Amino acid sequence: MSQNPSPALLARVAALSIAIVFFQIGVVSEVPVFGVNADLTPLLVVFVGLLGGSMMGAAAGFAVGLLVDLALLQTLGLTSLVFTLIGYWAGRLRELRDPRAALTPLLVGAAASAAALVGYSLMKFLLGVDAPVSFELLRQIFAGTLVNSIVAVPMFSLVRRALASALPEDPRRRRRRRAYTTGGLSPLSKA
Amino acid sequence: MYDKTVRRRRAVLGLLVVLSLLLLTAYFGEAPSGRLHAVQRDFLAVVSPIQDGANKALKPVRDLFGWFGATLSAKGQRDKLRTELDKLRPELVAAEAEKRTYQQLISLYHLERLGLSDYHPVTATVVGKSPNFWYSVVTIDKGTPAGVRVNDPVVNGEGLVGRVVAVESDGAQVDLITDSSMGVSARIGTSSATGLVVPKVGEPNDLLLRYLPANTTPAKGELVVTSGTVEPPYNSLYPPGVVIGQVTSVNEESAYTSVNVRPAADLHNLDVVDVLTSGAEGRAARLSTLTSNLPAGQGSGGQSEQLASTGTGG
Repeated sequence: MSQNPSPALLARVAALSIAIVFFQIGVVSEVPVFGVNADLTPLLVVFVGLLGGSMMGAAAGFAVGLLVDLALLQTLGLTSLVFTLIGYWAGRLRELRDPRAALTPLLVGAAASAAALVGYSLMKFLLGVDAPVSFELLRQIFAGTLVNSIVAVPMFSLVRRALASALPEDPRRRRRRRAYTTGGLSPLSKA
Repeated sequence: MYDKTVRRRRAVLGLLVVLSLLLLTAYFGEAPSGRLHAVQRDFLAVVSPIQDGANKALKPVRDLFGWFGATLSAKGQRDKLRTELDKLRPELVAAEAEKRTYQQLISLYHLERLGLSDYHPVTATVVGKSPNFWYSVVTIDKGTPAGVRVNDPVVNGEGLVGRVVAVESDGAQVDLITDSSMGVSARIGTSSATGLVVPKVGEPNDLLLRYLPANTTPAKGELVVTSGTVEPPYNSLYPPGVVIGQVTSVNEESAYTSVNVRPAADLHNLDVVDVLTSGAEGRAARLSTLTSNLPAGQGSGGQSEQLASTGTGG
């Protein structure tokens, strides 16, 4: 996103972030699926990046990470660091590739969840947690990624719906317009 | 224009990464009473009422999702529990006989039974939980006004849950026994050999009881309970006899034996817990009173630790 985000967009991202973080802590974290919990927070960050661009993604990642660390008394800065990087990556993906496939939210959500879990684990190892790289640890990462992939598509719809009217330019609208102007999909061109 | 955008984008990323690293370094380097920890506790004080309200409002949603999972696992659990019941019936008969002997000894020495109700349990509702398997942390809705203090043990009907690590007026944070920061002195069943229960990081359903003497021969299925050591200055934070879990397998190590333990409490589905607000100091004081009731020559040294283990532990 080349221009500054509007106050309306910032307000919507802030409200959505607070709502999702509390919903995650209060509800989703208490409902195990396949022995793990879905984590909506990296999905939120990555979809904000995918819709709003790299700077918005990085800023949302930092803020959401800080909120999670504050609310759960976790090591301050750790989640912020991991989420900042995945938010930025998602934004760059949008700016460079502008992915349009229907499976994009699922694949990006899965990749971001895996990156968050692996990144988090690496940081914990670097900070000196005495734990072996066990099969169970790998299973947790795999199951966590799988469960997050299941909720990625509805989560993307929710984030897009919440931010749509405040986004300066919806990538899908832009693509549709581009397709029509180049004649590829215009019903008039077939006439 | 393009260069400016690129520079600004990179500057924002760099700034946020540096900020995160600074926070991380400062937080890691400071004491628990430091400024950043205080900010976290203040934040907890602010969000606890919100979390409590949100938890109550969203309970039906959680129950609905939980119902599906519970239904799926109920059949397997029923069969397993039937097998366990058959196995435990003869043990119950033996335990009843031992209980009678125990009560006779208690009355003989004029000792007071240390049950969990003597530790002033405060019932609290779990209002929040971390989604990250590196942190096993829950938030409860009871705080300082209810008498909850840092390091108070937390239990539920199934066994030991964890300990309080931060308290505010409207809530408290509890580290579960599977959190990487935890360590609980424990013993197996009726054995007097004690070890240390530590979590197996990345394996949220398993614990490890380490440093048991090499000649200890635990059997699969035996209960692991808190030892409740009272030996100043190394008083255990936990009352004696609280069930931690069951032995699942034994690892042979050179100098010590260690066993894998499955937690007794279902830490994935915590709704209501009890915080034992009478801490280790209170217990030590009570035990010193009890030792004074013992016949001459039996109230010193390691005897106090043995006494601590006579509690029923709920």
